[in-house]
Amino acid sequence: MEYNGGSVVAMIGKDCVAIASDLRLGQQSVGVAMNFEKVFPVNDKLYYGLPGLATDVYTLREQLRFRVNMYRMKEEREITPKTFTHLLSSTLYEKRFGPYFLEPVVAGLTTPTELEPKPKPFISTMDTIGCITTPKDFAVAGTAQDKLYGMAEGLWEPDLEPEDLFETISQTLLNAVDRDALSGWGAIVHVITHDKVITRQLRSRMD
Amino acid sequence: MAVQFDGGVVIGADTRTTTGAYIANRVTDKLTHIHDRIYCCRSGSAADTQAVADIVHQHAQVYTAIYGHAPPVATVAALFEKMCYENKDQLSAGIIVGGWDPEVGGSVYNIPLGGGIFRQPWAIGGSGSTYVYGYCDATYQEGWNEEQTLQFVKNTLALAMSRDGSSGGCIRMCVITKDKVERHFIPGNELPRFWEGKEVTGVEAVGLNAADMVIA
Repeated sequence: MEYNGGSVVAMIGKDCVAIASDLRLGQQSVGVAMNFEKVFPVNDKLYYGLPGLATDVYTLREQLRFRVNMYRMKEEREITPKTFTHLLSSTLYEKRFGPYFLEPVVAGLTTPTELEPKPKPFISTMDTIGCITTPKDFAVAGTAQDKLYGMAEGLWEPDLEPEDLFETISQTLLNAVDRDALSGWGAIVHVITHDKVITRQLRSRMD
Repeated sequence: MAVQFDGGVVIGADTRTTTGAYIANRVTDKLTHIHDRIYCCRSGSAADTQAVADIVHQHAQVYTAIYGHAPPVATVAALFEKMCYENKDQLSAGIIVGGWDPEVGGSVYNIPLGGGIFRQPWAIGGSGSTYVYGYCDATYQEGWNEEQTLQFVKNTLALAMSRDGSSGGCIRMCVITKDKVERHFIPGNELPRFWEGKEVTGVEAVGLNAADMVIA
């Protein structure tokens, strides 16, 4: 889990979610790439982050792409964040005794339906074998996890508007990874609202 | 690292101390005073190098008391070498001694892990040094002045700090000459930046700095 380095954080805001990651790929202490994204879209309302072993990041991304495509074809509708979380969880548990070295974070908005006209924004995280946690505030994972907990606990407050959520999640990520030797080398933030997703790259410390 | 030039020596270091992957101190001062015109750079175990430097500092003071003048840089380096060689099994200490004395002018002595001593025009050490040997070999020139030497040290350190996870923070440098020791500090946001690749997925980089957001 600490071979390549990298961290992800997700936060809930007012009718929006944000998910952010650093861009470092290393081989223990040496940095190798500064454009290694760890957050991927399922669709424009649902994103997930995969911090951990880089080879598993790519493998799981492709696995999930396959499974989500099959879901889309069979169900003829987009997958919801909650269902996607469970899909990810069962994919990880299949490898219970030889797991993927990742701790995924999911962030998304559920489209309103008749049964649920005002759904809450959704984030979740799980351990390496798929145990789901659905926090109400923020979810953190990666080599800077402990520092992210501290930053998020201090900076997060409920009902942040998208611009404020962007500032909060950015400062949480930047200052946490600046205390971690294996995370950093750039950062990228996605803020998801019902009409659009705004993606911004942050100017960060490059050491 | 330390580099000799006409008139003295420039020594410099990053400011990061790590315990595992946690950055315990991001503003460390690794340039340690040994005598008026003699400093050393410490790498390896912080405890080991601090202990050895303190003892050599004491030896240097006793020398001055006995002989009435500052010890030559070569003597101080020999004192370091004695400690590092005789205790090589217990220590994890890579030390670079840089200073000025009236007989020789500027000089740099590298004392790596085994306790050997090597006088060199320029010396680099620490975990980040492995990434910049090529840069230093390709760039170094004899006969530089103070300004050019400072630039060389700054660029070398910045490159190592970028690549090595165990190096980073800010740059501290000392210019040691006959007349004075001048300290320089370069904050992390003013470091030279090198190739960092194009934007990812066509996304514009936003100029958002942690410094822009002040919590009063």
